Amino acid sequence: MIRICLLSLLLSLSAIAQSPKPSPEPQFNLTPLHGVDFVLRNSPTSRKYLIETMPGGVALLDYNGDGLLDIFLVNAGHVTDPLLSPANFDRHNPSYWNRLYRQNKDGTFTDVTVQAGLQNAGDTNYGMGVAVGDYDNDGFPDIYVTNFGRNILYHNNGDGTFTDVTSKAGVGAGGWSTSAGFFDYDNDGHLDLFVTRYLDWTPEKSKTCGRIAEPMYCPPGEFGSATSILYHNRGDGTFEDVSAASGISAKPGHGLGVAFADYDGDGFTDVFVANDAVEQFLWHNNGNGTFTEVALDSGAALSSAGRKLSGMGVVFQDYDNDGLPDLIVTQLPHGLYGVFHNDGKGSFSAQELEAGFGALSGNSSGWGVGLEDFDNDGWKDVFIVQGHVFDNVNLYDNSLKYHEPPLFALNRSGHFSKADPGSDLPVAGRGAAFGDVNNDGWVDVITASLGERPQFFSNRGGKSHWLTITLRGKRSNRDGYGARVQVNGQVRFATASGSYLSSNDKRLHFGLGSADSCDVDIRWPSGIRQKLRGIKADQFMTIEELEQ
Amino acid sequence: MIIQAILLAYLLVQVQTASGQSPSEAAKLLQSATDAETRGDLDQAIADFRKAAELTPSSPIALLKLGDAYMRKHDYGAAIPPLKRAAELSPDSQPVHQLLGYALLSQGYAAEAIPHLEIAHESGALGIAQLQADQPAEAVVNLRNALAKSPDDPDLVYYLGRAAAALSSESNERLLTRFPLTARGHQALGQSYYSTKMFSEAEEEYQKAIALRPDLPGLHLELGEIYAAISQWTNAEEQFRHESKLQPGNSEAAYRLGDALLHQGKMKEAAEELRRSDSLHPDMPETLYALGRALVISDPNGAERLLDRVIAIEKQSPLAGQAYLQLATSHRRQGKDKLAAHDIEEYKRIQSITLKPEQ
Repeated sequence: MIRICLLSLLLSLSAIAQSPKPSPEPQFNLTPLHGVDFVLRNSPTSRKYLIETMPGGVALLDYNGDGLLDIFLVNAGHVTDPLLSPANFDRHNPSYWNRLYRQNKDGTFTDVTVQAGLQNAGDTNYGMGVAVGDYDNDGFPDIYVTNFGRNILYHNNGDGTFTDVTSKAGVGAGGWSTSAGFFDYDNDGHLDLFVTRYLDWTPEKSKTCGRIAEPMYCPPGEFGSATSILYHNRGDGTFEDVSAASGISAKPGHGLGVAFADYDGDGFTDVFVANDAVEQFLWHNNGNGTFTEVALDSGAALSSAGRKLSGMGVVFQDYDNDGLPDLIVTQLPHGLYGVFHNDGKGSFSAQELEAGFGALSGNSSGWGVGLEDFDNDGWKDVFIVQGHVFDNVNLYDNSLKYHEPPLFALNRSGHFSKADPGSDLPVAGRGAAFGDVNNDGWVDVITASLGERPQFFSNRGGKSHWLTITLRGKRSNRDGYGARVQVNGQVRFATASGSYLSSNDKRLHFGLGSADSCDVDIRWPSGIRQKLRGIKADQFMTIEELEQ
Repeated sequence: MIIQAILLAYLLVQVQTASGQSPSEAAKLLQSATDAETRGDLDQAIADFRKAAELTPSSPIALLKLGDAYMRKHDYGAAIPPLKRAAELSPDSQPVHQLLGYALLSQGYAAEAIPHLEIAHESGALGIAQLQADQPAEAVVNLRNALAKSPDDPDLVYYLGRAAAALSSESNERLLTRFPLTARGHQALGQSYYSTKMFSEAEEEYQKAIALRPDLPGLHLELGEIYAAISQWTNAEEQFRHESKLQPGNSEAAYRLGDALLHQGKMKEAAEELRRSDSLHPDMPETLYALGRALVISDPNGAERLLDRVIAIEKQSPLAGQAYLQLATSHRRQGKDKLAAHDIEEYKRIQSITLKPEQ
């Protein structure tokens, strides 16, 4: 009898032990963006013009300095079927405009595109991405829009309006530009501009691949390569194309994503270009105005299986809190998202398996990517927007999907595990921008999807502490881009770049876990070091660069 | 190339024989035709051979040479009638049947070519003809025989691959037709879906097969491979564990299980399974490479020994290139920059070889 009772007790305990644990609450809510009626109109055609499947830039910026993040969304354009030269993308039509939405105090948004002078992006331009930076150090963020066609630099006039200064600045580029970013490669206090370009593609060179009855977009290898462009900021509102002099144009690729960080600690910001289906590029800044491409020699060119990545988006931040910026590169399926761990001394090792990405990717197509501490536990988590590049991929491989939900993975001591992003709604995700939209101390996400409205993944928050820093450079560029900021042992490299075609909140966000105060150490691009001790948690603070 | 060489040797002999046996005018024509052929004037040679054949209608020699001249001109269709007549006149002549078999095969008459190629003992061409005539089992046998004699012939390798695939497909179709609701029937259908990347359908068929015969070796392994192909590594691990339990001596199951664990970042467990696989089937390069990959961060010296072994076995294959890349990682992490640079150079060298187009 006693035995039976014991057995029964053991069985019941076993049943308790085996009962499923309640799933944790998702970190995000998919929340409507009140007042945002933008639809990313990419105009897919039967001709499968490759440009159609690539757009979708998003920027989070405070354009009017009211302390609230506003949203800039890049639209694509109308593609005729067939597309005849000279191309006309009908961007006088308001449904194809890029849009700027000003955030109101109540969390709603107002379309201020016309008021700001950002309407009509030019009929010969098919929109791609956006970069944000205060290139003239006047305290107001300027906007650079990349296109298939001519790119546009909008100067922020500081009164809620922008002026197209592309011609004066000399940054029109041309060809097929994708991601771009502002950074100060020569530490002269003026933000320079890096523009990636994808392919040597025109409507005349377009072709379709796949079966005759079911044509699909061609892979990049069917077209010629393209070079990136580096513009040096002269400091007088104009830029000089130094692509050749700097060495950047010496190596053509299939550039889609770009991110910046000083990976070897020599005080000069380096550049990583996510390339599609060729080796990735790591441009080491030699500190004398030139760059050397070192990805293969430094271990950041190929996956750990020696495969070329179909690099789309990229983030260049420290995921394992060793103080060194690592790389996460999103890509197409049948390969894992790339994780290049910075081993120090200028070298990387592909550690996608060690970081847990073997179980996270493989059958998904990743684009926009953010490495942010979404749960404020002191470890940066990853959020990736997904969706295959081919709109009919299921006809060729029914395990692949054109529409996919995003991937959200929590970081536990440098190893990522899948978590609930708060929505399993599948979309053809492309761009993504990361920032604290509602100023609650928790990082949110805005994503762009082909043919859809943007999605707002509003962070539900939690109990952990945090600190958000705005840098104000004096000798360094005013945005402080390129600064290395360490808070309680965690490091962030100041930049708005990364992800895919997008620009993030420039403020630096740190999760502090249970710590209610922290120490801050900054190394500015000027070389000035600054230390702040005993900073109270849970605040937004602005740190101005010391004079010396 | 092989065919032309054989023919040339054969014809030299035949020309000498013909010169001695044909009536004088026909012999003269044969000689002038042969001279024209030597000069490269195939049209003249054909005209003379045709006349010689008309003068000696009961002799197969002129007909054979006429057929051969047509074939040299790549006019295989025109070669068939004289060769057919030559075969009627000389039914035991291997050279006649050889040429006729090739001519028929080249024109798509595979089934008709088969008996001639059998008489000629041309196993390579016979295998190709049998493949095209939907006789994959026979084709596999003959192509294997031909490949044993000419192991470096890429055409033979290609056709053997196709024949083996056709044979597999034929067996599967037989299974599906005659035993559709058995475990093997579901397995065959699952394989068919898998080969066309219909993964969810393939998974379903394998699940049905396993439900019917959970102890059937291979089912869990193949289902695990489907999960691996779609990156469902937890499911793949489960299936490979089942297979390893069913077949503890199966090195592939152990390797696959190790690989599934590797993809989940479970490096220690992966290394254990990969070591087990290596003990069951030592020196499989893929296993050694995967084990090296699993250890490259935690045990660089152990990883380097394994990767060196991969390179020693594989020499210049793509896997050897991958091993050099892993070695570079290990060397860089240990500050051995010169060795790392050497590894990268070796990687590039192998890449340049493996990507070189066919000459």
